[in-house]
Amino acid sequence: MAHEPDAPILSLRGVSKSFGGVKALTDVSLDLVPGTVVALVGDNGAGKSTLVKTMAGVIRPDRGDYFFEGRKVHHSGPAEVAAMGVQTVYQDLALCNNLDAVQNLYLGREEVGPWWTGFRLKRARAERRSKDVLRRMRLDSIALDRNVGAMSGGQRQNIAIARSILWEPKVVLLDEPTAALSHSAAAQVGKLVRDLAGQGLAVLVISHDIHHFVLDNTDRIEVLRLGRNAAGFDSSDVTGEQVVNAMVGGNEAINAAG
Amino acid sequence: MRPDDRERGAMSTHSVNPPQPVSLSRRGLRERLGSELSFVPVALGLVALFVFFAAESDVFLTSRNLNNLLVQATVTGIIALGLVFVLLVGEIDLSVAATSGIASVLMAKLVVDADLPIPLAVLSGVLSGVAIGAASGRWITLIGVPSFVVTLGVGLVLNGIQLLLLPNTGRYNLLNTGVERLAATYVSGLAAWLLVLSGIVAIACLRLADLRDRKAEGLPTSLLGSVVTPTALIGGAMIAILLFLEGQRGLPMPVILFALLLGVMAYLAGQTRFGLHLYAIGANAEAARRAGIKVERIKIAAFAIAGGMAAFGGILAASRILGVSVSSGGGVGGGALLLESIAAAVIGGVSLFGGRGRVVGALFGALIIATVSNGLNLMGVANEARLIVTGLLLIVAVSIDRGIEKAASHG
Ligand SMILES: Nc1ncnc2c1ncn2[C@@H]1O[C@H](COP(=O)(O)OP(=O)(O)OP(=O)(O)O)[C@@H](O)[C@H]1O
Ligand SMILES: [Mg+2]
Repeated sequence: MAHEPDAPILSLRGVSKSFGGVKALTDVSLDLVPGTVVALVGDNGAGKSTLVKTMAGVIRPDRGDYFFEGRKVHHSGPAEVAAMGVQTVYQDLALCNNLDAVQNLYLGREEVGPWWTGFRLKRARAERRSKDVLRRMRLDSIALDRNVGAMSGGQRQNIAIARSILWEPKVVLLDEPTAALSHSAAAQVGKLVRDLAGQGLAVLVISHDIHHFVLDNTDRIEVLRLGRNAAGFDSSDVTGEQVVNAMVGGNEAINAAG
Repeated sequence: MRPDDRERGAMSTHSVNPPQPVSLSRRGLRERLGSELSFVPVALGLVALFVFFAAESDVFLTSRNLNNLLVQATVTGIIALGLVFVLLVGEIDLSVAATSGIASVLMAKLVVDADLPIPLAVLSGVLSGVAIGAASGRWITLIGVPSFVVTLGVGLVLNGIQLLLLPNTGRYNLLNTGVERLAATYVSGLAAWLLVLSGIVAIACLRLADLRDRKAEGLPTSLLGSVVTPTALIGGAMIAILLFLEGQRGLPMPVILFALLLGVMAYLAGQTRFGLHLYAIGANAEAARRAGIKVERIKIAAFAIAGGMAAFGGILAASRILGVSVSSGGGVGGGALLLESIAAAVIGGVSLFGGRGRVVGALFGALIIATVSNGLNLMGVANEARLIVTGLLLIVAVSIDRGIEKAASHG
């Protein structure tokens, strides 16, 4: 590939997005580089999820450019972005409660028989592969034929994460993947995230757990405030205080309040 | 690289841990009652009704009466069968009765006025239903308006057109046109047995193919649970019905057609990608969209299926009552036919909230409604009581539906 190893695989440049009167994003830029984990942090409503949805192709920005592997892309929607190798764990998980784990893992990518079978689902293979991936995530306790609607919040979150890594992605976007997880399960996800980067994937993860999850597991920290790029740090030479100050506006905010 | 290899790589650090046994905790009964067993309560209700009416009337369990009952259930059942698809994606079609009416009038007009061969006329009628459904579906997905309002309007428009299509006498007579044979043909003897047996073989083959696939992937299998039991249950029911009706004149054609359509639709909804996407959209349309599913297209297809099935149901009804008139398709607004079709689907466990229920529910729901009406009739209860009971059944069914929906979203 003509693409250089250290060059960003996915970049957004000057992205803006409004919902009616609400400016969710204003002139935001972001780079994801293969082999690195980027944390996207910011206060509630800072625009993090909107940015992730823009990268996932779910939201079409009002302005700004989308670059993938160095080329400007005009995608047609989430399916095309996923086909390029960008997988997303949404904050709302985007699971279908009436379907079981296997059906959710394979949703939209089902293996089917030929047309004369009416595209009959090939359940057995999907079930075996799902079983494999869940076992490797040490999620053996999840019954594959249970409806995800009947699962716990953490199990559902794990299903959504498993779905994102099932398909050989190049980029993984995780919107608060640890929100519903126990401490040990969150550490597990942190490890998974570092493993994925170790494999050469570009990873973006949103988390509010700055002091533990973010500082321990990421390489870069990008801060969004009120829909704008507020700051960027290397995770290795920043303290949790500095990051939090950048999130809430630091001294200015305190001064303004006082 | 295959996905498995990638996972193995990504997860390599975890695989040093001893693998835990795969949990055997299967889905609980409550969960299964909400999905693949959703028709069980209604099937039990049907048995209870049979016991009750058999005790109240000597005629009820005779083969002649059961024949009548089954044929009565077919028209409602076929319309309900199509309606299930629309309900699964979380929409509703209130124009199905009107569609059945206009399709039957169109078919009759083509046969009587234009002398078209019957198969062509029937096909035109069915296709008109498909087109009506697809058009409603397109409009609903394009504009984003609630389907119950749009299809209510479409139904009235169709009622008007139906009146325009009818001649001044307000009726097309179909006696001796050949159309009546659609409903009046009986299949008996060897042919009937072959039909039933081929149905059983088809079910067994599908089940066996699944079993073979699972074996090939090293997944746990159960010959008894996944092949023998379901095949024996369905096959047993089919043979029982055959034996009952053999005493009369054999299998009535409407019942055969209903069974065929039921099989095809159950396969479509339960075994294919299209079917899975119906359920996905009904539960979470936005998740389906993000997964790359063409939500609009599938909704339009669901409406088209409902329209086509409604049209065929109407044509079958016209063949049975030997004509079409102002009151074909339940009259203005769809009347009892519309309500009974919706009731059949809902009583059969298909949720009005989308994403829950099975196609076979339409069969059980239609049988319940036909049994109530047939049984009350035999007991000499007047028509108005029948309407009241059917209405109450519908209310009870949607209330149960709401209860399950609540339980599912809170659990
Ligand atoms: N679909 C939408 N319609 C209208 N407004 C929206 C929509 N999505 C997001 N917004 C608005 O855009 C802003 C940013 O929302 P976003 O979900 O991106 O925040 P976030 O940083 O992910 O917050 P949180 O930490 O709470 O998840 C908010 O003010 C929100 O109200
Ligand atoms: Mg968010």
